[in-house]
Amino acid sequence: MSNEQAIDNMSFSEDKFSDDSRLHLAQIIDNINAGIWEYNINTRVIKWSAGFYTLLGYEPGEIECSNHTFFEQLLYHQDKTIFLNALTNQNSKQSNPVQVRLLTKSSGYHWFESTVKRYPDTKAKTIYGSIINIHDYKQAQLKAARDDLNYADTLRIAKLGSWEIEAGSLNLTLSKHTYDIFELQAEVKLTIDEVISFFEPQHRATLQTAINNALEFCQPYDLELLFRTAKNHVLWVKAKGVPIINEYGKCIIVKNIIQDIDNSKRKGLSLESSLNLLTDQNKRLQNFAYIVSHNLRSHTGNLQFMVKLYEETDVREDRAEIFSHIKSIGSSLNSTIEHLNEIVKIQTEITNERSVINFESIFKNVQLAIKSNIDALNAHIEYDFSQCTEISYVPAYMESILQNLLTNALKYSHPDRQPFIKCYTIKDRNYVYLIFEDNGIGIDLERYGDKVFGMYKTFHQNPDARGIGLFITRNQIEALGGTIKVESTVNIGTKFTIKLV
Amino acid sequence: MIDLNTCIIDNNSTYVYGFKKMISLKNAGQQVTHFNNGVEAIDYLKNPLNAFNLPDIIFLDINMPVMNGWEFMNEFVEIKSQLRKKISIYILSASADINDIERAKNISDISDYILKPVDWCRLEEIFNSLQMAG
Repeated sequence: MSNEQAIDNMSFSEDKFSDDSRLHLAQIIDNINAGIWEYNINTRVIKWSAGFYTLLGYEPGEIECSNHTFFEQLLYHQDKTIFLNALTNQNSKQSNPVQVRLLTKSSGYHWFESTVKRYPDTKAKTIYGSIINIHDYKQAQLKAARDDLNYADTLRIAKLGSWEIEAGSLNLTLSKHTYDIFELQAEVKLTIDEVISFFEPQHRATLQTAINNALEFCQPYDLELLFRTAKNHVLWVKAKGVPIINEYGKCIIVKNIIQDIDNSKRKGLSLESSLNLLTDQNKRLQNFAYIVSHNLRSHTGNLQFMVKLYEETDVREDRAEIFSHIKSIGSSLNSTIEHLNEIVKIQTEITNERSVINFESIFKNVQLAIKSNIDALNAHIEYDFSQCTEISYVPAYMESILQNLLTNALKYSHPDRQPFIKCYTIKDRNYVYLIFEDNGIGIDLERYGDKVFGMYKTFHQNPDARGIGLFITRNQIEALGGTIKVESTVNIGTKFTIKLV
Repeated sequence: MIDLNTCIIDNNSTYVYGFKKMISLKNAGQQVTHFNNGVEAIDYLKNPLNAFNLPDIIFLDINMPVMNGWEFMNEFVEIKSQLRKKISIYILSASADINDIERAKNISDISDYILKPVDWCRLEEIFNSLQMAG
């Protein structure tokens, strides 16, 4: 029945086919997985092949073959324009197939592709076309497009660019996102050296070596480096590369990624620095606890000792002598507690507000405060704060630091020469340094290097040595985030370099 | 009790006073030599003039300026073969730091680690054991 119908409905009435071949053609047409339609513009008569019904899931004739059915029931309303345009746009002989959605009998809209052609030999009144189901293909295509979009979005969100080095030619291929990270126009061709030049100078050699090793020895690399974009933004990036090797074990391509990790890296770095700060503070606290236990213990031990001796003797002179020692223990205990108090004060004063202090005026005040010491030794003191005259600091700290260093320099001056003391500031990039130099007896740093700033560490048989000044000084400096370093030569002098901020 | 030539190396003058006083109260004739730090003690031990007046026992503090107890021990190990006498060394320190105690244990020339202050009974024990050995 479908054969007759196909023949009936289709315009095979012209003459170049024999009946046999017509029948044969109709059979083929009905059995291929395609539908054929024909439409007469003048009469508006429409014809469908059996395959047309089958494609949509209908038995031939199950739905009315009419314009109305097609346009109002089968064709998806959004695709009407496309289809109508294809029908009316028949000027060019070569027209592209249109892709439209048609309603199938039982599984909703499917994608179909239809050719749209005019009979060349009739008077251009009839349009025909073949229609095939492209649903799976279209779905895959849409999915691919969606995947591409997802992929691009993911790369964009991850701020991830990929690039390749071809081992033989050393030609580079850079993805769009790589150019985005570089802040470059995508047309620019880059060489390996040019890519490396985007990294900060201190990191270039590292990357160069990593890329060379990847190319020559097939070693992958994974680095975190500082990068400067074409628009001069400095950011941390992850640079990672994996060599692809051929069957002879030679690297043919290095596949690389570059990822903007600036946010997390900077957070990590700041975390690291707070961790260091905490570790330092913890060390200081531990040190403090040790000092408390050790120093107090030494005094209380002595006290206990003396009391026992006092009890053991009846001799009046002995008792008087012992008692004088008990008194002196009392005063050392007091001064130790005062020292500990000074250390505790550093931690509490740290919250005190910093204010802008003038080096010269504080230094002059300190000089005035210990004028008698200076005069007694006939010390020559120079200062030069011209490189940095002022700084925001805790005023009490600065006063204490300068006084401790100056007192120290005087205390350990060389007996054979006039003390010469120099204090000055240096400004280097973001840091301010305070330098303190003397020509005193110096400290044997090879022996005492790690102890110079410890508490109750004295290295000279100087009766005034208390072993507290430099300990306090270091604590004050470190509490404000600075550092102190010492250089010294025995019998030549000592130089303290303080990084203030 | 045979007098032992006793030496204390410590820079804490109050403690040294007490140490000497305790010995003199208990045993009037015993000689106690005192040095403020390791260097003074080494200089004394090395001096040939003192060869016949070396201590039998040294009580050594750890924390001292110029040369501390550990540094003294390093020097002592170098010169001990040249000494005419075997000298027993006891650490006598206020440091209860486990690191110090462990460190002393690992030095074979140190007989024991005594925490300050020390009572007479403990000292007597030490003196007696030395006399028995001698």
